[in-house]
Amino acid sequence: MREGPDLNVVGTVIRPRTEAARSGAREEGELLDRVKSQDVDAFERLYRIYQPRLARFLVNLVQRPQLVEEVLDDTMMVVWQTADRFRGTSKLSTWIFAIAYRKALKARSRWPDPVEDDELHARVSEDPAPDDQLHHQRLHDALVTAMTQLSAEQRAVVDLTYFHGMGYREIAEIADCPVDTVKTRMFHARRRLKQALAGTLADWL
Amino acid sequence: MPDPIRTDEQPHDEAEELLPWYATGQLDPKERALVEQHLLSCAKCQRQLAIERRMVDEFQALTPEIDTGWARLRQRLEPRETWRDRAGREAAGVWRMLSRPQVALLAAAQLAFVIFAAGLLLSLSRPSYRALGSASAPAAANVIVMFSPDTTEAEWRKVLTANGASLVGGPTSTDAYLLTVPAASRPAALKRLRADHHVMMAEAIDGGRP
Repeated sequence: MREGPDLNVVGTVIRPRTEAARSGAREEGELLDRVKSQDVDAFERLYRIYQPRLARFLVNLVQRPQLVEEVLDDTMMVVWQTADRFRGTSKLSTWIFAIAYRKALKARSRWPDPVEDDELHARVSEDPAPDDQLHHQRLHDALVTAMTQLSAEQRAVVDLTYFHGMGYREIAEIADCPVDTVKTRMFHARRRLKQALAGTLADWL
Repeated sequence: MPDPIRTDEQPHDEAEELLPWYATGQLDPKERALVEQHLLSCAKCQRQLAIERRMVDEFQALTPEIDTGWARLRQRLEPRETWRDRAGREAAGVWRMLSRPQVALLAAAQLAFVIFAAGLLLSLSRPSYRALGSASAPAAANVIVMFSPDTTEAEWRKVLTANGASLVGGPTSTDAYLLTVPAASRPAALKRLRADHHVMMAEAIDGGRP
């Protein structure tokens, strides 16, 4: 995700809109045009581009592997069946993620919340690991556990921001809500993550 | 924890709210300037920015391996591909082929042939003769003749030609033929026909007698 980082005055990594990203968007646009005329090869290519990103997004959002498959397939079926309705007023990725977001929340409403991952908690509560790799694993597990304590809407905002590198305006489009709602969700999510990670936060820095 | 450097709550709240997107480079220039200005004087936000950057790194490292499988999704496309896409593609292909001038000409010629052949079949399927006294006898038939059995085809054609007659029906069940001759010359034609040794019988058939 991070390509050719620029450093600003306080050393923050800025992700520029690179030529590669633009040509990627062009390719996706061309693929979608072919999908509109039911070109299965183009659809497969589009699927392979989006499958990892959507799977990642949905794992965090729905938190059930069996639902991830179902929602991802349903999302791509909507893309296949309604590609001609995409008018290009937003980015293609925004449109596809918005479909996935709606499908995920709808699927979640049919399922009870997942039982807590006891095995995961057991790993997290282990004594500090003797080497760096296990130490990092502990942080990783702590973060995964902390994410389960957020609402689905908060997890979506957090993941779209930190992993998918989206701005709050784009996230507002995906979640179909005002930008201030996105900022508020992120603010509360960060506070809860901070609380959940309190024990390990010192190790982070 | 109190922050001795912070001087104004509102820019702090705004900047802190935007920090995640500052860390990922997703702010517009105005917002970025606001955050940077605030960061210069806010130790709390500088610490928080470090956490944000660490969060970005950690989220990048969280890579669940989920293969949802193209093959499974492809199967869901199959019915649509077979009945709709394929039919549409084949129809379009036929139309494209028919749209070519040479092919269109050939198709038109074939169509004309089919119409011709159908007409031919239709005409062949009709009775090839009319019974004597039949109401549906050709209106133009005004003479009935019967040739002697040994008359060759060339001979009776010569007889017809000599009398300006055309064959319009026959042979009937009695081996008679229906002829049409110009009305004005029919008496003379009947006379010649009766005189011809190939003709066994020649009669007017529309009730008029010469």
